[in-house]
Amino acid sequence: MSATNTLSTASATSVKSGTGKPATRRQKRDWIFAAGFLAPFMILLLIFQYLPLLVMARNSVYDYSLLNPAAAKFVGLRNFTDMIEYEDAAVSFGVTFLFALGVVLFVIPVAFALALFLNSKLPARGLVRTMIMLPVVTSSVVVATMWSFLLDPSNGLINGVLNIVGIGNQPFLTSTSQALPALIAMTVWQQVGFGAILFLAGLQGLPAELTEAARIDGATRRQVLWNVTIPLLSRTTLFVVVIMTVFSLQAFAPAFLMTQGGPQESTNLIVYHIYNSAFIMQQAGYASALSVVLLLVVLAISMAQMALLRSRWNY
Amino acid sequence: MKTHPLRRGLFVTLVIALILCCFLAPYAWIVSSSFKNRLTLFDDVTPLSWKAFFPVGATTDNYQTLFERTNVLTALLNTAIVSGGQVALTLLLCAMAAYSLTRIRFPGAKIVFVLILLTFLLPIEAMMVPLYQVVSGLGLSNTLLGVMIPWVASPFGLFLLKQAFEELPVELEDAARIDGAGHVRVFFSIVLPNVKVPMLTLGLITFLFSWNSFLWPLVIVQDPANQVIQVAIAQQGSPTQLPNWGETFAGATVATLPLILLFLLLQKYFTQGMTTSGIKG
Repeated sequence: MSATNTLSTASATSVKSGTGKPATRRQKRDWIFAAGFLAPFMILLLIFQYLPLLVMARNSVYDYSLLNPAAAKFVGLRNFTDMIEYEDAAVSFGVTFLFALGVVLFVIPVAFALALFLNSKLPARGLVRTMIMLPVVTSSVVVATMWSFLLDPSNGLINGVLNIVGIGNQPFLTSTSQALPALIAMTVWQQVGFGAILFLAGLQGLPAELTEAARIDGATRRQVLWNVTIPLLSRTTLFVVVIMTVFSLQAFAPAFLMTQGGPQESTNLIVYHIYNSAFIMQQAGYASALSVVLLLVVLAISMAQMALLRSRWNY
Repeated sequence: MKTHPLRRGLFVTLVIALILCCFLAPYAWIVSSSFKNRLTLFDDVTPLSWKAFFPVGATTDNYQTLFERTNVLTALLNTAIVSGGQVALTLLLCAMAAYSLTRIRFPGAKIVFVLILLTFLLPIEAMMVPLYQVVSGLGLSNTLLGVMIPWVASPFGLFLLKQAFEELPVELEDAARIDGAGHVRVFFSIVLPNVKVPMLTLGLITFLFSWNSFLWPLVIVQDPANQVIQVAIAQQGSPTQLPNWGETFAGATVATLPLILLFLLLQKYFTQGMTTSGIKG
């Protein structure tokens, strides 16, 4: 597929066959066709992916509002130094990392357990698989709406259940210590089915001989699980960790709909903070600087994943 | 280490029941509450009774007010247009690009591919501020086209189709090529009919992504006439402003039902699409 290869084979055929001109013309026609067929995709890609990247980099060194972008003022790196000087950015990134960490820590074991369950020969597998996938195909808006009522301090279903086991009403979203855990619980509920089908695909891709051989050698089920299955799935696990992390870093609807970032910024997720800075506070330059940092974090995570996957770290 | 089969059976049943409760109960509560009036709705929750999950004394009042007094119907229509358009354009553009990259050798193919590969890593929705400026600079703010157009050139879609095209044997087209068929004919009458399943998978994933998208339409559309369903129900459904839970639940039900039905019908393809590349967004 490399360009130089194509070119050298092209000239080689034209020299060898002697009838160079028609072949080249046909090739040129092919190239023009390829360009035409690629053009719509590439043009949109450049406009909507690469152009915003440039605009973002440029805007991060300006002070301006989206209401009047023409009045932009060059401020150098001040947006970035502001980020260090004021605590809002550090708090918001901190909250977001805690959120992502919480989601990953709970999604991985629960999703893995569900996948083991779905991979066994137990009854009602199909039903369970459908059930755990429902939240995955439900929009984040509906999930957030549903959960803000589930978590309601006085009339919520969760407090209704807690009352049965003798626990009094909990404030959940209005408490600084309970709001973020509540959002983590909701996101785990929403994403665990996705993690489970990824693990399930990994489990089904494992060669059955390996676990069978271990069983014949006298290993118990538990030993096979810990010493064969889990190490063999390390690539899948890494994949799920990265997907869940990148997804959590970009969560928006929970903060926007359920807590408005509060109480006391305890759920001020970074994408919500960017949205607020740009569209409510009208500090688009500062929002761009925050976006640059978020982009770099996400890129670093993706790069680390690729580096790990490419390394010899394989069983 | 051997457990008694009866005890094991009991344990498994309990686990299944717990999973079903966790994942089904919230939906049952939302849907049944959407058919209740505002008085009976709370009575069933504290203290909790089985009535919370079944619409005893059902009424469709909430749905009537929802459709008569809010823009939910318009929003549903707008969302159908956006999702349909996004699916059609994504399939067409990704298939055309995948055809060029897999069937024609041309100079610069590698650079093009790397350019596409790199965008796979961009958290593009988190770049809403510059994207907002680009799209409104093109005069597309407050339009349905502006809601869908940034996502049409999907690197995920390209990879999915490129993989499918590569698996298709070239011999299929060779005969047609010898008979003098051009690329356009080969593309439409030979390649496309043979990649129906990947196309369906990509179509479904795109539809899911488009139907559920929230942040971007929230940012780019302010005009209520061009609002999509997720933003419409988000704006009427905040518990701090709206006293009527029933109506909010009705909105959530209406916004979710089409996708759930589609999912139940075509679950296999959904799952396939999600596991192949790890859905983005």
